[in-house]
Amino acid sequence: MFYRLSGVHHTRYETARQIWPVPTDRRVVYILLALALAAPLYLPDLYLSSYVLPWLVWSAAALSLTLLMGIAGQLHFGFAAVMAIGAYSSIHLARAGVPFELALIGAGVITAVIGTLFGAAALRVKGLYLVMATLAMQYLVDWVIINVPAISGGAQATLNTPEVSFLFMPLSGTGLYYGALLWAVIVTVFVLNIKRTSFGRALVAIRDKDYAAAVIGVNPFKYKLLAFFTASFLGGISGAVLAFCYYQAVTPEQFGFNVSIQLVAMVLVGGLGSVIGAYLGAGFVLLAPMFLTNAVAYLAVWGVLPLSSSLLAHIPLMVYGLLIVGFILFEPLGLAKIYDNIRKYFLVWPFRHTQS
Amino acid sequence: MADEQGTDREKVLVCDGIRRWFGGLQALKGITIGIERGEIYGLVGPNGSGKTTLVNAITGFYPPQEGTITFNDQILNDRKPYRVAQLGIARTFQNVALFHGMSVLENILLGRHIYMKPSALSSLFYWWWAQSEEVAHRAKAEEIIDLLQLESVRDEPVDVIPLGVQKRVELARALCAEPSCLILDEPMAGMNQEEKEYMVRFILDAQEALGLTILLIEHHLDVVTAICERVLVLNNGEKIAEGPAREAMSDPAVVAAYVGKKDDAA
Repeated sequence: MFYRLSGVHHTRYETARQIWPVPTDRRVVYILLALALAAPLYLPDLYLSSYVLPWLVWSAAALSLTLLMGIAGQLHFGFAAVMAIGAYSSIHLARAGVPFELALIGAGVITAVIGTLFGAAALRVKGLYLVMATLAMQYLVDWVIINVPAISGGAQATLNTPEVSFLFMPLSGTGLYYGALLWAVIVTVFVLNIKRTSFGRALVAIRDKDYAAAVIGVNPFKYKLLAFFTASFLGGISGAVLAFCYYQAVTPEQFGFNVSIQLVAMVLVGGLGSVIGAYLGAGFVLLAPMFLTNAVAYLAVWGVLPLSSSLLAHIPLMVYGLLIVGFILFEPLGLAKIYDNIRKYFLVWPFRHTQS
Repeated sequence: MADEQGTDREKVLVCDGIRRWFGGLQALKGITIGIERGEIYGLVGPNGSGKTTLVNAITGFYPPQEGTITFNDQILNDRKPYRVAQLGIARTFQNVALFHGMSVLENILLGRHIYMKPSALSSLFYWWWAQSEEVAHRAKAEEIIDLLQLESVRDEPVDVIPLGVQKRVELARALCAEPSCLILDEPMAGMNQEEKEYMVRFILDAQEALGLTILLIEHHLDVVTAICERVLVLNNGEKIAEGPAREAMSDPAVVAAYVGKKDDAA
């Protein structure tokens, strides 16, 4: 009803190129942003710090990965290693007395350089072979972090994050939440802007047909490297934000191979290359297991599921796996496509002209 | 008359004794051509005669193992495809090579790539660094959209529009780079008579509006004889005729290559 295209006329290219050209989309985003800003007022601290905050940071990480996998089309199965490099660099920089703002940027640059070095080596191959090469990066980085005491502080060590302040605000309490929110907003706007500028078009071009990209003057290798650089930069800072705002400590296990797979799952379930998909995918992968575990425990307490405790522990995992398979079967383009279908339905409601 | 004009004009794209082989197969056996500024130069020949290989040699995909290619006195031999594009050579592909994840408009805007300064930083600071550039190039893309009458499909995803229009979008993307030389690899393959006539009209319009030199590969010989000033006929990687379209096409060697010799019939 309020969600209409009719009557929306853009007479200048500037307005036609807005991130959300449809006024209703824009309003929805403003409302969501206001809700996010006011969240500490109405959400209990527990929910804020153990659900919303990690969701925001993982969404930022999934956005970084979707820039590389969805937009530039370069598969990366070692993205947790990228985040680990960012987390460890930022902690060591902050401990050395570098201001936190600079430590974050420094961590991003260090991660980007290392990520690009691996990318340059890995980019000699494509597709599944690139997956193997990036997996090698995961194991190499894991190994180096665990076996170099200067980085990890020892094989079993936990490095606590030092007290820091961001733009003169101490990073603690609700400050942690706002820090994560700010980073999520920055990454979101950045990726949305990449998608509508020449940089993003060049990345999509090398993803779709690299020979056709070359023939209009796009240097495929350069843009693949730039994609690795930018995504690693964002992924590194996301890792740092995750360490400082959520874990407040780092250990090597936090960024293991299973985390890489979770990130890929977020991107795939959400929808490759989609910004809202990164949020939906991260939300699904993070929150669905928690929700299912709680639901099963609740049912067991009420005696609805008279099963052994070991089976009860596995039910959430089975349902979770089933849900992922179901979503991929139902809509291979991910949760973002489901959202898009609903949106398109309401664009023409109550008519049903577009059924794409 | 045409010949006199021809010798006066400078040669833009010159291939001198090009040889290219793939393993034991010799695809080009010493081809020499000189394309003059502003002409439409036809390249015809039976399937597998080396037409596309010649174009791939010029655009840097399969550099020749012998011979030199020069464009405006610059040697193209060791240039990668994207560096050939930067010199002002644009091409289309035999099987449409559009980017399927993007809309028609975005595909055409990609033609402006060599004039833009894409970077992650300018995307981050879009409102200060990228917006004016994007808008300026959008205006240029709209000129080409206007020239090729693509207004109605501007915002459609490229994979839902008909093949004939897709070919036109690919032409638009090539023209958007404001090339001085345009290479068209079978722009009319798979089209019906009406679509062919449209395409010819668009090619002639574009050539007149932008002052292009065109190298045209085409199997429709009626089109070739109608719009090409000169024609090169290839067969098995060798030049078998060159000259004004009508004369070249009636050369006995060309007729033999296309329809076979009388003795072969048995």
